[in-house]
Amino acid sequence: MLIATVSNFAQYASDSIYYGSFFALISLSLSLLFGVMGLMNFAYGELIMAGAYVMFYTRGWGWLAMIVMTIIIVTALSLLMELIAFRPLRRAEPVVLLITSFAVAYGLEALGWMTVGTGTQKGFEPYPWLTTQFDVGGVLLSKLELITWIVTGLLLLGMVVLIKRTSLGIQLRASTEDFRMAQLVGVRANWVISAAFGITGVLAAAVALLFTFRSGAIAPDIGQGPLLIAFVGGVIGGLGSLVGAALGGFILGVVLNVLQATLPLSINNHFQLFAFAGVIAILVLQPNGLIAIRGTWVRRWIQHIREAPAWQKLST
Amino acid sequence: MSGVRDRAAVALYTRRLWPPLALAVLLVVTWALVAAYGGTTYEAYGVRMFINLMVVLALQIFSGNSGVLSFGHATFVAMGAYFSALLTIPTADKGFQFLTMPHWLSSWVFPAQLSPLEAILAGAGFATLVAALFALPIARLTGVGAGIATLAMLVIGNVFLVQTTSITRGTSTLIGVPLTTTFVSVLVWALIFLGVAYVFKQSRFGLRLRAARENVRAAKSVGIRVDRERAIAWILSGFVAGAAGVLYAHWFVTFSPGDFYINTNGIDLVILPIAMLVIGGMGSVTGAVIGCYFVTIVYTFFNRWEVDGFSGTVRTVPSGTANLALAATFIVVLILRPRGLTGGRELAWPRDWRLLRRRPATQARPAEQPAGSTK
Repeated sequence: MLIATVSNFAQYASDSIYYGSFFALISLSLSLLFGVMGLMNFAYGELIMAGAYVMFYTRGWGWLAMIVMTIIIVTALSLLMELIAFRPLRRAEPVVLLITSFAVAYGLEALGWMTVGTGTQKGFEPYPWLTTQFDVGGVLLSKLELITWIVTGLLLLGMVVLIKRTSLGIQLRASTEDFRMAQLVGVRANWVISAAFGITGVLAAAVALLFTFRSGAIAPDIGQGPLLIAFVGGVIGGLGSLVGAALGGFILGVVLNVLQATLPLSINNHFQLFAFAGVIAILVLQPNGLIAIRGTWVRRWIQHIREAPAWQKLST
Repeated sequence: MSGVRDRAAVALYTRRLWPPLALAVLLVVTWALVAAYGGTTYEAYGVRMFINLMVVLALQIFSGNSGVLSFGHATFVAMGAYFSALLTIPTADKGFQFLTMPHWLSSWVFPAQLSPLEAILAGAGFATLVAALFALPIARLTGVGAGIATLAMLVIGNVFLVQTTSITRGTSTLIGVPLTTTFVSVLVWALIFLGVAYVFKQSRFGLRLRAARENVRAAKSVGIRVDRERAIAWILSGFVAGAAGVLYAHWFVTFSPGDFYINTNGIDLVILPIAMLVIGGMGSVTGAVIGCYFVTIVYTFFNRWEVDGFSGTVRTVPSGTANLALAATFIVVLILRPRGLTGGRELAWPRDWRLLRRRPATQARPAEQPAGSTK
C-alpha cells in the first residue's frame, strides 16, 4: 500500500483536479443540450475530434490564430449538426434523438477516417513553454495545468453569468423547465436551441484545445473515451442541472484518477470496474443525481448560499 | 352453431399468430434464397444478420416492452461467447492458453467438452446469471438513469474481460474454439427466439410490462409490480442475447473483448442492434425483424460497393463509405419516420392493410396505444 505524504497528496490533488476539469466541461455541455431538448449528444466527441484536427492543420499559424480558428470551426460544425440532423427531429422521443446522435457521430467519424485520418498518425507537437513542469512546494505543476484550471474556472463562471444574468440565459432556463410553455410566452425555439448548440460548440473547442495541448496524439476516435466518462459523470451529478452535471463530471474524473493512483497493483487493472459498479450504486440510491435531487445536503447547502438558485430541479 | 364458433376461434388464432408466422416465413425464405444462390460471401452476411437479429430480439424483449433503453446486451453476448468457448475448446489447447487460471476453475473447465447444444444452453445460462446479478439495479431505474446503468454494466463487463487475463486471455483471441455454428443452426435459433419474443410480448408478463411502459403510475395503481416485471424481461433477454453470443463465438471462432464493445467500424454489437430496433420500431417484434433486415441490406449494399464494386476487384469508392452511407440512412429514416419503419405496430392482417392506409398519420406521443397492434 501507498503511504501518502502531504506533498504526495497535494500532487494527487492537483493532477486529479486537472483531469476532472475536462470532464466538468464536457458534462456541462451535455447537460445543456439534454435540458433544452432531451438530447444525449453522443456526437459531441466528434466535435472534440474536429477541434483537434483543426489545430493540427493550423498549427503553423501561431497559437492565437489557431485557437480562434478552432473555436470558429468547431462552433460552426456544432450549429451545422443541429441544422441538418437535430432540427427536423426536435419533437422526437429521446431515444430517437440518441440514435440520431449516434448516427451523426458514426458519420463524422467515418468522414474523419476517410479524409483527415488517412495516412500516418498525426500528432501535435506540444509547446515546450507550456508543458515544462516547475516545482511549487514539492508539487510538480506545468503552465498547461494552471491554464486548464483557469480556463475551466472562467468558462464555468462565464456559464453561470450567462445563465443567470442574460436574457439568453433566462430563455435557456425557461426552455429547460418547460419547452412548450417557453414557446408560448415568446421564446423563439430555433434561436434558443441554436444558441445552446453554439455554446456547446465553444466549450467543445475549449476541451479540444486543452486536451490536445496535453496529449498531442490525434485520431478520429479521440473524443469517445472522455465522452463516455463525462456522460456517466453528468448523470451521476444530475443531467437536469448544469452545476450538478459539471460537478458530477468533475467528481468522476477525480475519483477515477485517485483510484488509478492509489489502488494496490494487484487490483489496479480493475479500477474502472469498481468505479462503474459505484456508478450503478449511486444511480440506484440517488436516481435524480447527487445534486439535482431536492433535499440532499448538497442542495440544501447550495440553497443556503444563494436564495434563488438557477439550477432548479428539471424534468429528467 | 358450434361450427361457426370454431371457425371464429380459428380465425382469431390465425390473426393472433399471423405476425410471427409471416415473419418466420420471411426468415426461412431469406435463408433458402441465400443458401441457394448466395455463395459463401453472402452466407457469411446471412449468418451475421441472423445473429444480429437474435440480439435485436433480445433487446426488443426488454427495451421494446419496457421502454427502457439498454446498452448492456453486448455484455450478455460476450458472456455467452466466452463461457461457451471456455467449455468447448479442446482440453489440449486449454493447457497452454490458461497457465494462470485458478485451480477452482481449471479443475472443471479443463476437462469440459460440451456439444453444440449443451454449449448454447450453458452459455445462455451463464448470461442469464449475469443478467440476474444486474437485474435489481436495472429494474429499479428508469429513463436516462437506466440507460447509463446499462452503459456502466457494459464498461464493467469489458474491463473484466480485458483485465482478467488468466481466464479470458485479455485482448488476445482464444485459440481452438470449434466452428460448430452453421447457417441452419442460426436460422433455427432465430426462429425459436422470434417465437419467444412474440409469445412474451403477448403473455401476461409482456402485457403488464407494456402497461407500465405506457403509464407507470396507472400500472402500479392496478397492482402491477413494475420492478418485478422489468426484471423478468431483463433476465429473459439476457438468455436470448447469451445464446446469440454462443452462436457468434462458434461462427467467428476468433474474437476479443473489443468485438463486444462500442467500436467504430459500423458493425458493432452495442449500438447497431439498438439502431436496428429503433429504426424498425421499438414496440413490435415485426419492427425488430424489419429494422434488422433494413439495416443489414443497406449496410451490405454499400459494403459490397465499397469492397469490390459488386463485381470486379477495383475499388471505386474510398473505404468508410459504407459507414457514412449507413449513418446518413439512419438520419434520413429517423427524420421521415421518427417512430420507426413499422411505427411500433405488428404486421397487420392482410385484409386490414387498406384500413391502415386510410388512418390519418398520427405524429402522436409514444403514450398512444398503436392502433394496428393485436391486443
